[in-house]
Amino acid sequence: MNEQIEFPQIDPNAIKRGLKYAFFFIVVLIALGGVQSTFFSVGPEEKAVVQRFGKVIAVKEPGLHFKFPLGIDTATMVPTERVLKEEFGFRTTVAAQRSKFIKTPDMLNESLMLSGDLNVIDVEWVVQFKVNDPVKYLFQVRDTRDTIRDISESVMRRIVGNRLGSEVLTVGRVAIADSTLQEMRQILTSYNMGISIERIELQDVTPPEEVKSAFNEVNEARQQRERLVNEAEKNRNQIIPRARGEADQIVAESEAYRAERTNLARGEAARFTSLLSAYRESPEVTRRRLYIETMEEVLPDIGKITILEESGTSPIPLLNLRTSENKGGAQ
Amino acid sequence: MKSAFVKSAAASVLLLVLVVGGVVLSSSVFFVDEAEQALVLQFGKPVGEAITTPGIHFKTPFIQEVRRYDKRLIAWDGAPNQIPTRGREFISIDTMARWKIVDALQFVKSVRDESGAQTRLDDIIDSVVRDKISSTELTEIVRSKDWEVTEEDLKRANVMAPENDSSALTSEIKVGRNTLTKAILNEASKDMPELYGIELVDVRIKRLNYIPSVREQVFQRMISERQRVAAQFRSEGQGEASSIMGDTSRQLSEIRSEAKRKAEVIRGEADAEATRIYNEAYSEDPEFYALLRTLESYPITLGKQTELLISSESEYFKVLRNLTP
Repeated sequence: MNEQIEFPQIDPNAIKRGLKYAFFFIVVLIALGGVQSTFFSVGPEEKAVVQRFGKVIAVKEPGLHFKFPLGIDTATMVPTERVLKEEFGFRTTVAAQRSKFIKTPDMLNESLMLSGDLNVIDVEWVVQFKVNDPVKYLFQVRDTRDTIRDISESVMRRIVGNRLGSEVLTVGRVAIADSTLQEMRQILTSYNMGISIERIELQDVTPPEEVKSAFNEVNEARQQRERLVNEAEKNRNQIIPRARGEADQIVAESEAYRAERTNLARGEAARFTSLLSAYRESPEVTRRRLYIETMEEVLPDIGKITILEESGTSPIPLLNLRTSENKGGAQ
Repeated sequence: MKSAFVKSAAASVLLLVLVVGGVVLSSSVFFVDEAEQALVLQFGKPVGEAITTPGIHFKTPFIQEVRRYDKRLIAWDGAPNQIPTRGREFISIDTMARWKIVDALQFVKSVRDESGAQTRLDDIIDSVVRDKISSTELTEIVRSKDWEVTEEDLKRANVMAPENDSSALTSEIKVGRNTLTKAILNEASKDMPELYGIELVDVRIKRLNYIPSVREQVFQRMISERQRVAAQFRSEGQGEASSIMGDTSRQLSEIRSEAKRKAEVIRGEADAEATRIYNEAYSEDPEFYALLRTLESYPITLGKQTELLISSESEYFKVLRNLTP
């Protein structure tokens, strides 16, 4: 009942050789892996968080560094110098000189919000942030990006909801960005997440597509108001200075009249006074001279002169001077 | 031959010891990451407290296993809910929360794992949000406590209140967004550490909007409000232009009449002055003036149209007559 189990005949030397090769191969692999995972380089915009058996032991600055291989030490790069950004209500698809943007219905849900006067506004904005503490960044909050997004949406809606819609659309932009920044900083600090919010930039802030035309109508009406006022003012600016000039002219003319009138009076008065003094020297002669001179001047131009004989009963012309000329003149 | 066999047997034993030792070691050593905490379970039952310090830790091999839980803040994002407010406006509200595991032992007992926790949070937060929102006016949800809008603000911003009743916009906010979310957080996080080993760190309203059917009406309202503002602008423009034009013609007649008045005054003064000058000179000898002036006026008053009848006795012709033989 002896049953012999038959082993296949294997050459012990061959096993030995095989083991030797395998051993050698493993050693080389381990050595290669070890060397490769002993060095790591940290880029200029990053810092490296080094963990030993999971525990953080160091934060390394940019440069080449050593660590223990074989999973004893692990290094995680965190971009601490780069300004990261999150976009709300749109996405940049091509970032270049002429960037391209898209806005899907999903993104519209990010940006549609209620203003304090219960109107709907489409607010697009960008949050820029930096990692200022890589350890906190990695180990305090799990869904970092979602957290920044959620907080930003929540805060922006609170701020916009606390203002009048038309204020949000026009003058409130800077104040809104500023308040959102302050409040986000406060919340993220309380989360202790190693992030610093650098800037918040409001992009397009518009009324929803459905009501845009009504808003444009208001703008048009506002411009129309301005135009009407401007035209009226232009008209006024044309008329009033001209009227002022004309008024000055009227006054100046009256002043000219005054000068003329008084000068004339003075001249005539002076003439009279000097005549008078001459007259007084010999009144009779002067009187006669003046009379005769006047007659001399007057008579040639008189149409018809009839000299009456004083002694006669009826007016009989004694002399009828220049009858023919008179006829011509009467024509 | 024999020594070679012994050698290889020894090598095999050594290899076996090494392998077994490695297996035992790897089963009794575990690492806890900085982001994690761990529980050691023996046949499914937790042993001791949760391990929260990162680094290298030990356990009994084979019979104990390690469960890892996140130590960090974890996101909870609720599905958007349609809830009527106190004023019966249906709004769609999307809330977010952040929570963390503070008591892994309690956590594993009550909700088992993260997805269990998320489901529990869904139930709790949704119900609290529903309660709070439906008992609050929409304005109190949208605005915050420091809401302060005056009539002047409305005027400056060209806002037209519905039915011209601005009290809906200017009235004080009693609760406000911040207080409301704080109340939701307080209510929802009540007893959570004790019951679930969870700390609810934050709850916020992420999104709030009208439901689509209401939104249509709101757009209509916005459109008509804007149209009213536009109409106001237009009539303001016309009114202002008219007032400028009226002002222009007022200024115009003022300027003109003022100029005329001045001119008349000046002319009057001139006439008076001239009269005074003449009077002064002529009153020296009024008779001579009369003579002079009369003689001066003859060339003007007498001309071609004149027929002059002169007596031969007159001064001028007397001489002529007397010359007659």
